[in-house]
Amino acid sequence: MTASVDLADFLPAYLAEVEELLDSAHRQLMAVEASARRGAAHPKSVRELFRALHTIKGLSAMVDVEPIVSISHWMETSLRQADQAGGRLPESSVEPLMEGLRAVEQRMRQLAAGKDASPVPPGLLERLEALGVSSPVVASTARPSALLLDETLALAPRLTPTEREQLTSGAGHRRPVRVDFIPGAERAARGITINSVRERLAALGELVKVVPVAGPAPGGGSLTFVLLLSTDASDAVLKEAAGGEPAQVRALSTAPSAVDGPSVPEREPELEEEPEEGRRSSGTLRVEVSRLDEALERLAALVVNRSRLQRAVVDLTAVGAPTRELRAILQENGRQLRDMRAAILRLRMVRVGDVLERLPLLVRGLRRTTGKAVRLELEVGDAELDKAVADRMLPALVHLVRNAVDHALESPEERRAAGKPPEGRVRLGCHANSSGWVDITVADDGRGVDAGAVARRAGVPVPRGPDDLLELLCRPGFSTREEVTSTSGRGMGMDIVRRIVVDQLGGELRLETRVGEGTTFHLRVPLTITLLDAIIFECAGLRYAVAVGSVEELIEVEAARVVRPAGAHGVALVERRGQSVTLVSLARLLGSASAQAVDATPPRGLVVRQRGELVAFGVDRLLGQQEIVLRPLEDPLVRVPGVAGATDLGDGQPTLVLDLNALGAARRPGSGGREERAT
Amino acid sequence: MSVLHVVFKVDGAEYVLPASDVLQMESFSGATPVPGAPAHVAGLVQVRGRVIPVVDARRRFGLPALERSLDTRVVVGQLGTRTVGLLVDSAREVLKLDPAKFQPPPPLVVEGSRGFVKAVAQVGPRLVMLIDFPRVIGEEAPDGDGKR
Repeated sequence: MTASVDLADFLPAYLAEVEELLDSAHRQLMAVEASARRGAAHPKSVRELFRALHTIKGLSAMVDVEPIVSISHWMETSLRQADQAGGRLPESSVEPLMEGLRAVEQRMRQLAAGKDASPVPPGLLERLEALGVSSPVVASTARPSALLLDETLALAPRLTPTEREQLTSGAGHRRPVRVDFIPGAERAARGITINSVRERLAALGELVKVVPVAGPAPGGGSLTFVLLLSTDASDAVLKEAAGGEPAQVRALSTAPSAVDGPSVPEREPELEEEPEEGRRSSGTLRVEVSRLDEALERLAALVVNRSRLQRAVVDLTAVGAPTRELRAILQENGRQLRDMRAAILRLRMVRVGDVLERLPLLVRGLRRTTGKAVRLELEVGDAELDKAVADRMLPALVHLVRNAVDHALESPEERRAAGKPPEGRVRLGCHANSSGWVDITVADDGRGVDAGAVARRAGVPVPRGPDDLLELLCRPGFSTREEVTSTSGRGMGMDIVRRIVVDQLGGELRLETRVGEGTTFHLRVPLTITLLDAIIFECAGLRYAVAVGSVEELIEVEAARVVRPAGAHGVALVERRGQSVTLVSLARLLGSASAQAVDATPPRGLVVRQRGELVAFGVDRLLGQQEIVLRPLEDPLVRVPGVAGATDLGDGQPTLVLDLNALGAARRPGSGGREERAT
Repeated sequence: MSVLHVVFKVDGAEYVLPASDVLQMESFSGATPVPGAPAHVAGLVQVRGRVIPVVDARRRFGLPALERSLDTRVVVGQLGTRTVGLLVDSAREVLKLDPAKFQPPPPLVVEGSRGFVKAVAQVGPRLVMLIDFPRVIGEEAPDGDGKR
């Protein structure tokens, strides 16, 4: 069925958008809750929340995710009431709404994982529905604008005043008309889709807007497209253009009229100034990270090209050609490439504040499950991190914050007894320093880590300093759960935190703790990291990685079909699809081979294009493909051509990431490798 | 006024480095060789998440290689912004030494140590040699090694 194929194409965009809306919904709900706790109204957030849910409902109906449509519909309904009550939401309503958001989120993840969204959890809809009924609507506080929300819900966010004008002030005999088109598989098969209908209607008048509306539609569908146009065509013509039944054509009048239908204005909408419009054109663009990576890759190709050019110029200079201007241009070009690279890397930066926006939600949840009073203070300013770093950091920070609330902070009674304010504090601070690192601190004012208790638990002598204590806490599987929790209370999953911060990101982790006063974790991570999809292989007993993109093909080398020209020093030829390819023993190139290894034919080859020519690097074994974090080698002692950097494959030993292209060029016998190494 | 020094052994001789130049000492479980690096570079190790080069003191001093043992240590030194490890036979002692007690090395030591020993000091019956860390590590570009 073509329709479902199309929907699958939309799924990634749908998921991205709903995710964003969910984030916003969470934020707004937290704001509403904060107000509700003070007994205050928060009309703006209620309305934003309503909008987010309404849009989620609409989008979900378009991709036909019934459970999310139902959940968001009932959340929307209860919020409409809150809005009519002047933005007043009872505190008791927050939890079911949270539950609703969680349910939506859960289904999003299922969809993202390629599964079907599971049905609505039992009882959730009833609980949400009950909110609408039980919420004490105070009629007197209802403001006139509250009604607008209800009326304009389908159209207002998308209909600008200009469009409204277009619709109602049609020239001549034109009148505003609403056509409801219900898509379906059978109609799609006849070529009647929203696109063809849109085209045909546009030919009959001025098509102002197409709005998808969720909800049961005549003919068993769950989606209706409402097309608003100004036309002088007759209803019958319009209906035909929309594919006949079950399409409906209705005139819109500027006066209230009896137009019914799902979630559609019953009267000519009175449109207020839409802040939403402002947000949509705020100059922000969502871009898939893979596209940025692609740009970076293209740039890398340019850089390689430039070094070829540079070599050519060196050759020219050597034979006495006047290259002064060429060299000046090359130098300028080099600067430009560096600037370009910096600019692309900046595109990947995300605000730390945005990354952490879910932490308040986490703490809220912990407040409920632990019964502790906690205040989370975020002091993150404008610090930015590379997206890849941020994505990896988040679980570590979640871990630390969870630990702080779960274990470090005392119960309100304990705190009072210790002369502390009953509400515990967890502070997350962050600032970028100038040298390409970001410092992050997670501090609590809880009970601190009792080194003695930790040592007893681990069965070792009491650690001497904070570094040794941290070392102990970070032992894999070390946990202070159960008996020690009440006294030391930390360490759960600290090995994971360290693995992320130190091993994966190459950062630092420190601990500062005072018994009775609190604990602070200091983290330092690089602003950016380079991620690579890499092929991992073994050669002469060592593991290496190489960027997938640099390898054209992986081949099996049959010893019987290798030709060794006389005097070619370990260089041989193999046949690959009727073409002969140079085969170089990588072990020999790396200088790590013993004599017999050089003679044996390596069973596998990585085919790389080198200056237009295909070269196969013989290796012993292919181990697989994985994403790695590339750490450049900065020390001059180990900055050598052919080695792009190192990575940690999880064994705590650095694994070299090779640049086969540069390696072959630098080590090719008699190819000027010596000069290149000197640069 | 005495200053803390880290003492380490290479081929029976005792060397020292100011403790302020030493970040930490780690046991050694092998380094990842880096093809094309100077011969005295044993390879890369990961120390608390950082990937650093390790210089083999024996190879640097022109001494025969020694099978690594449980005593083998990497003395992780800080050199400006660089962090480099030095692979030594053992390192298990910290000494307080008065900088005034350091003497220029005798000519024989200067010759034998290829300029890697900056000064010597007598501590009781022992003679300890203060090494010129930057020189041992080698600040030169990878293939300038041994030619200066």
